[in-house]
Amino acid sequence: MIRFVLLACVSLTLALISSGCTDFVEPNQLAGVLGTAIDHGEDGMIEVSHQIVIPSQLEGPSKGGGSGNSNPFLVMSATGQDVFQATQKIQFKMSRRLITNHRSIIAISEEYFRRNDVRKLFDKLFRDPANNLRDIIVLIKGSSAKEFIMLKHPIESLSSIGAAKELQINGMSGFSSRQFLIDSFLKGSRPLIPVLQIESLKRSPKKTDPTALLSGFAVLDHNLKIKGLLDVEEGSGALWMMGKGTYHGATVPWKNGIVSLRLTQLHRRISSAAGQDPKRIVLTVKAQAYLLENSSQRDMSEADNMVELQKGINEQIQKELQGTIDKVQRWGPDVFGIGEYLHRQNPYWWKSQEDDWDEKFKNIDVSVKADILLRSTGVSGAPLK
Amino acid sequence: MNTERKGCRVKVSGYQMFWMISISSMIMFSYLPIKLAAEKAHQDSWISILLGSMIMMAVTWLILRVCKQNKEKTLVGFMKDLLGTLLGKIIVTVYFLHWFMQMSFLAKGTADFHNLVILHNTPMFVILFCLIVLVAYAVYKGGITAISRCAEIIGPFFVTVLYVQLFLNPQDMDMKRILPVYADSGWFSILEGAFRSFNYMVDPSIILMLFFFAENKQTVSRAILWGTAVAMGWGVLATLVVLFVTGPNLAAEMVYPVYSMTKFVSILNFVQNIDAFYIPLWIFGAFIKVSVCLFILSYGLSEWTGFKNWKLIGCIIAVIWLAFVIYSPHNIRISNTLKNMLLIGFFYPVVYIGIPLILWIIGSIKKHRRA
Repeated sequence: MIRFVLLACVSLTLALISSGCTDFVEPNQLAGVLGTAIDHGEDGMIEVSHQIVIPSQLEGPSKGGGSGNSNPFLVMSATGQDVFQATQKIQFKMSRRLITNHRSIIAISEEYFRRNDVRKLFDKLFRDPANNLRDIIVLIKGSSAKEFIMLKHPIESLSSIGAAKELQINGMSGFSSRQFLIDSFLKGSRPLIPVLQIESLKRSPKKTDPTALLSGFAVLDHNLKIKGLLDVEEGSGALWMMGKGTYHGATVPWKNGIVSLRLTQLHRRISSAAGQDPKRIVLTVKAQAYLLENSSQRDMSEADNMVELQKGINEQIQKELQGTIDKVQRWGPDVFGIGEYLHRQNPYWWKSQEDDWDEKFKNIDVSVKADILLRSTGVSGAPLK
Repeated sequence: MNTERKGCRVKVSGYQMFWMISISSMIMFSYLPIKLAAEKAHQDSWISILLGSMIMMAVTWLILRVCKQNKEKTLVGFMKDLLGTLLGKIIVTVYFLHWFMQMSFLAKGTADFHNLVILHNTPMFVILFCLIVLVAYAVYKGGITAISRCAEIIGPFFVTVLYVQLFLNPQDMDMKRILPVYADSGWFSILEGAFRSFNYMVDPSIILMLFFFAENKQTVSRAILWGTAVAMGWGVLATLVVLFVTGPNLAAEMVYPVYSMTKFVSILNFVQNIDAFYIPLWIFGAFIKVSVCLFILSYGLSEWTGFKNWKLIGCIIAVIWLAFVIYSPHNIRISNTLKNMLLIGFFYPVVYIGIPLILWIIGSIKKHRRA
């Protein structure tokens, strides 16, 4: 009996200790950070703002989504010499422990990019095991990043979730901070990051609300400095050519009218042009096209018209994408990963090229070839007369 | 068998041995070698790991030859026979030192990792104390029988789940990240990567002691080879997966690559943060490895000193071990010397290759003379 009691006591103590009860923080003692904003502070400081969910203010589906005045989140900010110090200052003002495990966005202001070395920022991301590296990195143009995470989102409960969903649903993947780290470590590839801008959006006759909208993509060089901005159209083309696009819409003029298509199964292939000259690259983009709108008065059930349409969209898209490539090449950073291709294809040649690739990329002859397959012309044949 | 002692039934089946070897090798493999190889050989680190694995397989085979020549005795016993009492005793202490170091590195690594990742406030002492008391209890109560039975239970879960883990990141894998093969690093870097990492892949020296406890020497040596092969296969695959997911530059920066892999898992944006599920499994693995070390160390010491009660020795070592692990972090150099060139370049090669080779040669000569 004594033996049993003793054993029970020992195992109970052990169970309490070894299950980590010395450390426990109950869920009601936690505050989830869903978005973080990084801004330039004075005197080499950094301003960190966290968007923190207030669970009690989140509207559940049972409440019917009434537009309450209270925000379901709160933004706390502080300046510090690095991310940890600033976060620590925020923590002191909080009644709950901040956790970043579920963060979905990191917004960095354009000013911060221009005036600081962004590379320093990412040490904390990678070193601290509390980060998940699944969060998306965006650049905020025209205002501070803090302003962005303070905004309300018209549909989602938090602007950070809204922005992340916006990118995902529009087929723009591959912007996680892990991907960003990998890209910025590579010698033959440069990161491209989405740019959000705050614009006033008229949502009802009386009300105009500022809302953050995707306004394009920023092309970064090896030192993570902004070299140029692409608009949304060019950017999604660039994504396609980078092999990261998943969905694309195209509207192109054709035969005295306009046709619109949905492009799916986006792929790209890089190859050297005929011969062994690595300086001549052909970038082939592939997709399957579904015609969804046609104002050209042609009967699309005719095979001849289909052949012509396929040729037409190929030519048009080829022209547009070539424009994007030429633009990026003038800036220098190789966001398409052509350097990586050459690295794999001609590794010994690459060794003499890898330094200062941004400059050398400008002299590479890249031509785009579109290989789009028209899969369907929709469910109606000739346009209505 | 004259060396058989009271309370220790010499019975470890081939099946149990297989799990013991594979767990204790995989737990080693999941920590250091991938980083060490990636630092030197970049995207060719998988070749380094493959080379290292082959070296380690050969070493395991060599050690098994030595064991088979001396079936009736443990390392301490046959070292004395082959090299003479004094020299044998001196050289065997190198192994004692090695096992003790392995034990403390692993225990400290486990405790530090938990402090870093989940238990931020729990004192290191508590984590260590729980681990060491459990290990000492297992060794004291059941010796190798208890450990091998635990391994038999833990093994299938541990090995399966660790293999499964490698396939949880399909959306992030890009096979092109290991290209170009060879051209970037060249043979010297690849060999350097292999040379730096092979020491930490597996610890074949434990076989020198464990072999004696085997039920059937023939099946056990096959089981040991298979156990090593399973761990090695996992290691090469894990390196490839790490490279596929993160590319060589990030892989070289990751201190706990296998842990980071579990952090990246995101299945359908829903199954995330599964690392919490893996952490207990790694403790299980560490438990097996550390108990094996404690057992062979205390049994070996008992033979070395002639003091029959090896269980008592085990308890004493556990106390010393606890004290060492608690006080070693005060000197960063003592507790973080895993990349020390003296260890990598001299100590491990001597322990794994040098001494077994000498023993094998002497053993063969003796056998030849007798014949």
